[in-house]
Amino acid sequence: MSLTLLKTNFKKNWILFIIFVGVVLMYFSVMLVMYDPEDIAALAGMLELFPEDIMEAMGFASIITDLTSYLASWLYGMLMLGLPMVYCIILGNRLVAKMVDNSSFAYLLSTPNSRIKIIFTQGFYALASVGALFMTFFSMGVFMSSILHPGLLDVKAFFKLNVTTMLVNMVVIMIAFFFSCLFNDSKRSAGFGAGVPIIFLLMNMIGGASQDLKTIKELSIYGLYDPVKLVGGGEILRVNLIYTGIIIGLFSAALYIFNKKGLPL
Amino acid sequence: MIKVDNVTLQYSNGKGIFDVDFEVNEGQVMGYLGPNGSGKTTTIRALLGFMKPNKGACTINGMDCIKDAPEIQKNLGYIPGEIAFLDGMNGDEFLKFMCDMRGTKDLKLQKQLLEMFDLNPKGKIKKFSKGMKQKLGIVTAFMHDPEILILDEPTSGLDPLMQNRFIELIMEEKTRGKTILMSSHIIEEVEKTCDTVAIIRNGRIVKQSDVGFLKSTQRKGFIISTDNLESAVQILNGAGFENLSVVGKNIEIFVAVDQIDRLVKTISNFTISDITFKSQSMEEIFIQFYNGEEE
Repeated sequence: MSLTLLKTNFKKNWILFIIFVGVVLMYFSVMLVMYDPEDIAALAGMLELFPEDIMEAMGFASIITDLTSYLASWLYGMLMLGLPMVYCIILGNRLVAKMVDNSSFAYLLSTPNSRIKIIFTQGFYALASVGALFMTFFSMGVFMSSILHPGLLDVKAFFKLNVTTMLVNMVVIMIAFFFSCLFNDSKRSAGFGAGVPIIFLLMNMIGGASQDLKTIKELSIYGLYDPVKLVGGGEILRVNLIYTGIIIGLFSAALYIFNKKGLPL
Repeated sequence: MIKVDNVTLQYSNGKGIFDVDFEVNEGQVMGYLGPNGSGKTTTIRALLGFMKPNKGACTINGMDCIKDAPEIQKNLGYIPGEIAFLDGMNGDEFLKFMCDMRGTKDLKLQKQLLEMFDLNPKGKIKKFSKGMKQKLGIVTAFMHDPEILILDEPTSGLDPLMQNRFIELIMEEKTRGKTILMSSHIIEEVEKTCDTVAIIRNGRIVKQSDVGFLKSTQRKGFIISTDNLESAVQILNGAGFENLSVVGKNIEIFVAVDQIDRLVKTISNFTISDITFKSQSMEEIFIQFYNGEEE
């Protein structure tokens, strides 16, 4: 791994990181301010007026009263997949395909560093930044809950929730990264890197809408991801291992392909 | 030593380079000439290890350009044909980045080069003029004092003064024993700096020889003004100069170097009101050369 390159990636991309932290921070605060254990019953009553299918499609699965499940359902059901996805798509394309497309990658390769080393550094940055994103979300959640609703957050369950959600988003950035390494053309890389995760997200929404369509969700990368069950004490080791396996698989494939391919630089 | 050993590298559209075979010996400078799209950059891609040849192999100092690329890069300076720097960087940041990536500690040469090319690297590269970007590319390629240099149209975008500085730089590096492969469009540059030339056309090397060949192939052009156009043309034709055209009130004539003496003696037979010298461009030489090939 090249530390110089890692540092340069950070310099070039920290603003993108801050923007997404800011957006998620806003949602976090709105959600936490809105939470009121006594009002939640009223909210539950109101929600019963909506058709159940629509609520499920949006990921707001069941009507919950405790703070941790509330966050898992309302924030992690959809927003914490959709928002970081945009970050992953942008960053994944920037780290490789964009530089190959505009030929600036030639300068990375005209140094005594192998392709493998350079691509590994780029992939490591992608994963590390998603890790940092979720560490920030976790700390933010804990900190803000302790001020607004002291003692109500189940920190351990919330941590587990963030780990699995981080892994799901790492799968997303590795999909974007894989296409970024596969295509020399930035447009194609961005197209597939965005298209495939968006299709998965839509499959997740459609599959959530009714029991008959459940298989559609299960075929997506979100098939194993159930935030409410997760904080309710559901088994997560197997899920986490599967996601980790997919991440390693995609990363290795990206390295292999990039090392072999011809670069029009 | 730079060695391209019988390399074929074909793109999916059928273009590419075919059976390209040449070497640049240690301490030599080779000019690599050819029209646009003839395969110069493709050859350089193979040498830099960006693309794998379908057939044959490239080696630099005996190392394979694909497998040993990182090792080769330790002693290689490269100027891309179309320079693109990393997004959003300042010039001095970029130089520092490249030094860090290469592990270059000694910045003396970098400073000298910046002075030589009168370049202030501060400020966003995006805002640099084309010439400034080219200068930054030159500094980047030479600042770690590499033994081997691969330069793809290194003077494009430079003004004549800086082109001369660049020629000085190449001469200096040559005396220090550097091995240089340089593609170019500027004939003076090649004549002054190169020991040998290779000419590529449609992906195939059509001529390889020492640089003297360029001189002997090159024709000198003269634009001659005279009051009596008709008789002047008659006199020239009579002396066997067929390769002339009448443009306005002038006669344009191209002759080989060994014909100049005879031409001057011939034109002394009529009254000349003006005479100008016209140098032949690389493209005109190519055309003349290719026509010769086809005949």
